[in-house]
Amino acid sequence: MTTEVTLDDAAPTPGGDPAPSGSPAEQGPWSLSWHGVRTVAVLDLRQRVRSTRWVVALVVWFVVVGAVTALTWAAVGAAFPGTPPGVDTSGMGVSAQVLRGPTIFGVVVFFVLFLGLLVSPTLSATSINGDRAAGTLATLQVTLLTPGEIAVGKLVAAWVAALAFLAAGVPFLVVALAAGGTPVVSVVVCLVVLAVLLAVVCAIGLGFSALSPRTSGSAVLTFLAVAGLTVLSPIVFALTLPAVTQEEPVRVWTTSGDYRWDDDEPPTCTWQTVTMSRPHTERTWWLLAVNPFVILADAAPEVRVEETVYTADPLAAIRTGVREARTGPAAEEDWCGGFAELTSGSAQSPVAQSPVAEREPDRSVVWPWGLAANLALGGAGLAIAVRRLAIPQRTLPRGTRVA
Amino acid sequence: MSLSVRAVHRSFGTVRALDGVSLEARPGAVTALIGPNGSGKTTLLLILAGLLVPDAGEVRVGGYDVAVHGYAARARTGWMPDAFGTWDSLTAREVLRTFAAAYRMAPDRGAARAAELLETVHLTEFADRPASVLSRGQKQRLGLARALVHDPEVLLLDEPASGLDPRSRVDLRVLLRRLAAEGRTVLVSSHVLTELDEMADDAVFLSRGRTAASGSVASAEAGPRTWRLRALSFPALTRWLDSAGAAWRPDDDADGRGAGPDSGPDSGPGAGPGAGPGGVLVEVQGEEGAAALLRDAVAAGVPVTSLAPAGGALEQAYLALEEERR
Repeated sequence: MTTEVTLDDAAPTPGGDPAPSGSPAEQGPWSLSWHGVRTVAVLDLRQRVRSTRWVVALVVWFVVVGAVTALTWAAVGAAFPGTPPGVDTSGMGVSAQVLRGPTIFGVVVFFVLFLGLLVSPTLSATSINGDRAAGTLATLQVTLLTPGEIAVGKLVAAWVAALAFLAAGVPFLVVALAAGGTPVVSVVVCLVVLAVLLAVVCAIGLGFSALSPRTSGSAVLTFLAVAGLTVLSPIVFALTLPAVTQEEPVRVWTTSGDYRWDDDEPPTCTWQTVTMSRPHTERTWWLLAVNPFVILADAAPEVRVEETVYTADPLAAIRTGVREARTGPAAEEDWCGGFAELTSGSAQSPVAQSPVAEREPDRSVVWPWGLAANLALGGAGLAIAVRRLAIPQRTLPRGTRVA
Repeated sequence: MSLSVRAVHRSFGTVRALDGVSLEARPGAVTALIGPNGSGKTTLLLILAGLLVPDAGEVRVGGYDVAVHGYAARARTGWMPDAFGTWDSLTAREVLRTFAAAYRMAPDRGAARAAELLETVHLTEFADRPASVLSRGQKQRLGLARALVHDPEVLLLDEPASGLDPRSRVDLRVLLRRLAAEGRTVLVSSHVLTELDEMADDAVFLSRGRTAASGSVASAEAGPRTWRLRALSFPALTRWLDSAGAAWRPDDDADGRGAGPDSGPDSGPGAGPGAGPGGVLVEVQGEEGAAALLRDAVAAGVPVTSLAPAGGALEQAYLALEEERR
């Protein structure tokens, strides 16, 4: 007994399709080729470069980022009088240099991200419904390009345009680097993270442009999505604080109740159980983690400074803050050690030795979670675009002429 | 048959755009798709182009079932929509080369094909100007060239002549005849029926989403048609027609041009335009019937000045269909 096995994936159709040889094999919607992606990307970029005032936009961008860099530099210089910027005086000057650099770098990187998040939605949020309105999309869909190639090509075109803006911001990151204190690797890491975040925004915009029949609608939706990630996420985090704050008993290493503060004797510390309300942000930290600014700050390499040097590094501040939030409140608290040190003057004295383990904030990185969430959103946008570009279509987009 | 449509249905919500359309188009022939506005012509072409799924029925293009082998069918189909845009900032040449790339042609072959097609549609002198400066007719020609980039077996043209000047219309007709002579299947929808008369071999009439009639243009021309007969003396003409027992109608369409000065609106049917020259409409069976009519009229001494078909064969067939539906 023999069983016939057909290995051809182009199996004969019920109607006995002749399927002449030499015909192109059926392509899945996600089938991609470099040739196809490049064709669409080049087409979109050519169209964009010639029809928009992109040079003007780039110049405006360059001037604005430059102005913010200069203002930050001046403001940081003014905050520490006696150390005029760029003048390396004595030891005082060196420490000033160290603290000025990360501040300038952090502000400039954040500003580039901020402007990038504003510009990127406009680059991709009209690319599918705009073509549909112009009557050029259907003629492209009936060619041998797959929906995946059209969607990815459009995404690449939007991303390349976004990268052009990013590139125009690079000189100012280098300038901030010259202020010292920031390792070169920070620039590289920040640029890579910025590029990925802008790609995500472009992909979200692409998805909305496939969903919404009107270009204005998709642009607004994309801006709302970006605002949701950047502004809404910290607001929701703050608003949920009462919900995650609970009254609970905590073991506290503290002075006995009858301790007199004007006493010369060091206090005797004992364990007590105190009931207090504490926010359990370890349940809501992810709200902060999806924020592009948090992702960028957390991914930037830590700047090691001497403990005596004060820094106003916005990246470090956010990094510490979000990691603290993720750690949540400690199981035990030490309310005594400080006094012991103050009164005895020596940490080696027996009273000063606190039984409370020094609380180590969670040092594990937060950004992979946030970046993964963002990439998932971008992936969803791309998947929607591919789905909506696939032909033949069962439903027509609203507003399309029927017969 | 390289293009066949069998019992295709398609609704949009409650609107039945196609309600059982069947048609076939032969290779080597130009098939006209005729129907009033909203009869489903564009929907049918969208389905044939592989953009829309039919609710029911079977569509084959170039031997492929569009629903099953859409990709292979698209490789053999050139589609020119009725309303389309061009990327305004690209030049005509770039548009064609982009489409050649989209059909996975090698760049040098695409460039050669673009140059060849620009020559074909007489746009060579506009080749390197942005598409935005092209006139409507020139864009239409560019759209036709775009549909031909990948040398398709089957051509689907939705109102290709709209916006074209008379010269371009003649060129279009010649081009479509040539493409058909090369063995391609050409399906053309148009409202300009006299034009289709000259280029189409077959005609399919759509009405309310159904195939109302189909047949060859030659057979429509051979069937009974209305001819316009004019003579120097209207009374002599009508007298002869009456004595010969031929049915005739006064030529209402002639508005002043042939009806004579005293034919007012109140002259009544059959009153005729007095003693001056005038014309009538007569039903004649084919061209042989027309020849016989002319011979007899001249032999009877009627001063005949002209005898010509009143309107094209397709137009008459179309109007007859409309009449039946009322």
